[in-house]
Amino acid sequence: MKKSLSQRVSLSVVGVIAAIFFGFPTYWMFTTSLKTPGEVLSPKYDLIPFSGTIDNFTSALTKPGFLTYLTNSLIVTVGAVLCALVAGVLAAAALARMRFRGRKGFLLLVLVAQLAPVEALFIPMYLLMKDAGLLNTLPSLLLVYFATTLPFTVWMLYGFINGIPYDLEEAAMIDGCSRAGAFRRVTLPLLAPGLVTTSVFSFITAWNEFLFALVFMRDQSKQTLPVWLSSFRTAFAVDWGGVMAASVIYAIPALVFFLIVQRKLVSGMTAGAVKG
Amino acid sequence: MTTIKDVAVPAGSSPPAPPRVSPPSPRTLRARIGERTVPYLLILPALIAILVLLGWPTLQLVGISLRQLDLRELVTGQMVWIGFDNYTAALTDPEFWEITIRTLVFTAVIVITTLLVALFIALLMRHLNPVVRVLLQVTLVLAWATPVIATTTVFQWMFDQQYGILNKTLAQLGFESFIGYSWFSTGTSTLTVIGLLILWQAVPFVAFTLYAGLLGAPKEHYEAAGIDGASPWQTFWAVSWPAIRPILTMVTFLSVLWDFKVFGQVWAIRQGGPDGESTTLPIYLYLKGVAGSHFGAAAAIAMLMLLVLTLITARYVQLLVRSKEADIS
Repeated sequence: MKKSLSQRVSLSVVGVIAAIFFGFPTYWMFTTSLKTPGEVLSPKYDLIPFSGTIDNFTSALTKPGFLTYLTNSLIVTVGAVLCALVAGVLAAAALARMRFRGRKGFLLLVLVAQLAPVEALFIPMYLLMKDAGLLNTLPSLLLVYFATTLPFTVWMLYGFINGIPYDLEEAAMIDGCSRAGAFRRVTLPLLAPGLVTTSVFSFITAWNEFLFALVFMRDQSKQTLPVWLSSFRTAFAVDWGGVMAASVIYAIPALVFFLIVQRKLVSGMTAGAVKG
Repeated sequence: MTTIKDVAVPAGSSPPAPPRVSPPSPRTLRARIGERTVPYLLILPALIAILVLLGWPTLQLVGISLRQLDLRELVTGQMVWIGFDNYTAALTDPEFWEITIRTLVFTAVIVITTLLVALFIALLMRHLNPVVRVLLQVTLVLAWATPVIATTTVFQWMFDQQYGILNKTLAQLGFESFIGYSWFSTGTSTLTVIGLLILWQAVPFVAFTLYAGLLGAPKEHYEAAGIDGASPWQTFWAVSWPAIRPILTMVTFLSVLWDFKVFGQVWAIRQGGPDGESTTLPIYLYLKGVAGSHFGAAAAIAMLMLLVLTLITARYVQLLVRSKEADIS
């Protein structure tokens, strides 16, 4: 189908308008973070920052507690991802490479657990953590993020391991490798891209999590970045440049990781649709 | 999702090959028993984590919803069973119904708008020239990847009463009445801003997924439609629609699941205010439970919320499990 010139121009115009709509908030976040307080509060109509100051970033980084919250977020997120990865690889290896009674049931459990609206469980989880004496400690959040990302991790890794031919492992075993040795030496290296993809997804989920962090961490110094950022009215006294700079710092890890797996996410999702 | 928020569903992969039977070789009985326990040892950590951290709380939720569990009972450790009193209390509370209906309407409006906008964007991407398409895709990816709370702060800044760019722009365009206009003074207006925020984050994922589906439609079909002189509308229904229908079902399900339980954005914007007018079910649950320490009453509301969610998604879950059975067995 050939389109006329006017058709192509009007399509492009619509496309640019859509791009402005979706791009503007991100643009505004970055540019505000580069403005001086005077520019932020000036009544002048300015869509482009002039001074390009980085003062907001230094002031956000030196805000009392910022580094603590950043560290807290990193500990719970990275910890949960690592735990989920270890437990996930073990379970996925068993599911993909071995036949055993209860295998189907376990897979079904993993599938259903992914659909469970975990947010509805924050009350029993809060009481569970309280009974375990973990409330207000980082391990409580780490455990919850581990549990919520685990089913997804197992399912993804199961798919990835299945994609690696078993013959390679068999060949290694004939050459004298033990079963575990064959898996570790042959399959695990080939699994690397799958491990990266899976852990990035888990990372983003845990990095963004808000509800459990708000409920579990009653102590200000134990909070994570999203909770702290949401309470910026007190933290910053409406210093919008500072808020935007902190938001940028908080967004960067997620943005970077996201770019790594974006394509895989889409292809995975379309493949995951119900068939028929 | 929102943001990617939680990725809740398998990014399924190709159906796995059936596991091989372990090679037959003479073994001692002891070795064979050892071999048998290996898979159970391997799944043990994951199984324990799922059962203890997800399964047990689910059972607990049912139990707590049948108890009176306020701060006093929590401190003394008393078990006060009150049957279905928490449920009757919630169901006879007009506030509960008001909030439930608000949440359902809110979810429905966001899901439908998201799907329509995303479908429009996906079709647009298919027909755009490469330069504009890449520009649009970059902005979409950025919107998608920015964490929920970061986006929430940006929206608050854009909609700020005094210095927000929106009011400034409207004033610049001659709408003087918007100088100092507060977008968060009524529940409807607050929910509209929150809805826009959720929409902005949810559209990219849905649009990209639908776009991938559109690209998956066989090229020859489009060519055949062109030769037959089909109108764009006819081509859409005959060629594109069948290609995206299963994907559309999936993203509808996911959107309902995500939008119904949205907490972060609503809470961060105004904590359900002004005057509780933008309170949705998850906010209500938080206020009742953690802030108000009425754990029993909140658990009953959580159960009712789960019930509503199950009712509206049951059909899809059934289809999903059935279609994944091939992967499982």
